[in-house]
Amino acid sequence: MLVFAHAGHWLAQIAYLLPLIVLVVLVGWGKLKQRRDRRRGRR
Amino acid sequence: MSDPCAAAAAIGPAWCRRRLAKGAVAVGTVLFAGSIAPGPAFAHGLVGKQDLPIPGWLVAWAAAAVLVVSFVALAVLWPSPRWEHLTERRVAGLPRFLDPLLGTVGLALFAAVIFVGFVGAQTSTQNALPTLVFAVFWVGVPIASLLFGDVFRAINPWRALGRFSGWAAKRMLRELPEPLQYPERLGRWPAAIGIFAFVWVELIYSGRGDPSSLAVLALLYTVVQLVGMSLYGVEPWSRRADAFGVYFGLFARLSPLHWRRAGLYVRPPFAGAAGLIATAGTVALLCVMIGTTSFDGLTQGPTWNSISGWLLDDLRDIGVSPQRSVEVTFTLGLLGMIGAVYALYRLGIEGVWTVDHRRTVSELAGAFVHSLIPIALAYVVAHYFGLLAYQGQAIAYLASDPLADGSDLFGTANSAIDYGWISATGVWYVQVITLVIGHAAGLTLAHDRATAMYDDPRLAVRSQYWLLAVMVAFTGFALWLLSASA
Repeated sequence: MLVFAHAGHWLAQIAYLLPLIVLVVLVGWGKLKQRRDRRRGRR
Repeated sequence: MSDPCAAAAAIGPAWCRRRLAKGAVAVGTVLFAGSIAPGPAFAHGLVGKQDLPIPGWLVAWAAAAVLVVSFVALAVLWPSPRWEHLTERRVAGLPRFLDPLLGTVGLALFAAVIFVGFVGAQTSTQNALPTLVFAVFWVGVPIASLLFGDVFRAINPWRALGRFSGWAAKRMLRELPEPLQYPERLGRWPAAIGIFAFVWVELIYSGRGDPSSLAVLALLYTVVQLVGMSLYGVEPWSRRADAFGVYFGLFARLSPLHWRRAGLYVRPPFAGAAGLIATAGTVALLCVMIGTTSFDGLTQGPTWNSISGWLLDDLRDIGVSPQRSVEVTFTLGLLGMIGAVYALYRLGIEGVWTVDHRRTVSELAGAFVHSLIPIALAYVVAHYFGLLAYQGQAIAYLASDPLADGSDLFGTANSAIDYGWISATGVWYVQVITLVIGHAAGLTLAHDRATAMYDDPRLAVRSQYWLLAVMVAFTGFALWLLSASA
């Protein structure tokens, strides 16, 4: 498969995005947790 | 993400938190330095970017780590605003004749450059005008502005011409009508449009290598400036609407030197950016500044070729000439990149808005826009430093023989570009370190503004989570562009 044959190339390109993805997941997860805690507090 | 303030508070007393933050900074610095430190391959002299012993993505990870560590350190060590109400220290006075004198020098230089553009050899390699404009002026002046303050304001030929015209008109007519009030809605929009137009000429316009065309455009710009200054006054126009005056003035805000009429003042580096008033068009201007540089980087790599290929083919299929189809495709790409930069910044601001519903998203975008100034400068230096370092040297022989007629005005007509004074790896180090410092400075400026806007330091930190993501995105993107253009 052509896609897999060039995996080393495009994986290196995607690797640039990894810190951003990790950060966005962490911030998003923190926001969701905060919202859930708020809802629980109201109950 | 857990709240760094809460985490630090749970650890213990203030000294303990400070040690934690200092330790974090040290760890981050070591991580970053370790990731970009030269390996044995570098001992063999000049190497290209492709020969670097570490992959670019690893540098992007290390840069992101530095930003996260800086963010934690700011949260712990910077609980209140320091740069919002800055007091600058006066270090020297300036003679009154200096401003008109430097203005005359700037005007004379401008006239000489225009003359060379028309009369000199009509090739970009033999005529000094393209190198002067695209290397010395466009890249050298931003770096000089960072180091020495707003030097361009002193030698700005359009401001000098406006002041001289006003003085002469007053002498002749005795009474001049008062200039109009500069429209608030116009803000920095003329500057944003001017910078866009300049970059369009630099990157897309098919006649960019023709010195006389560049000279004509410079004269057209002069006419626009004179009309604007005569309508709204020299100072209001040159501070907000003169594209280059505004562009270099923004970078000068990062300088520790501040030239005023009363004298020379000093302040902490980067702190001057906090004084930026975000009038209409300021966000657009900063997005144009970052987006245009990014687009220039993108076009030097294979990604742009694969993106633009299909559009170029389609335009040619419908009968558009190859030259026009390239111009249209590149213009769309340029606009798209500016739009992408705006979208990214806007996302970060939407994130700030989630903790501050009292202000509108537009108000918040204006409040934090000054944090983009060091990023814009970092992009310029990272992208164009190589051009300045090598092509900038050409000015020595071009200036000595400006008309390519065999003259040797300064005795440097036979000099050549020395490609050995800094290696490709050295250029790469400058680029990477500038990018990291620029983004860390942006982070600091945004954090300082947040501590001024929110009484609760925890809220100030929480407001910055998404802006941190934006900074990490800008850093990774810039490093990806550098690696793609290798």
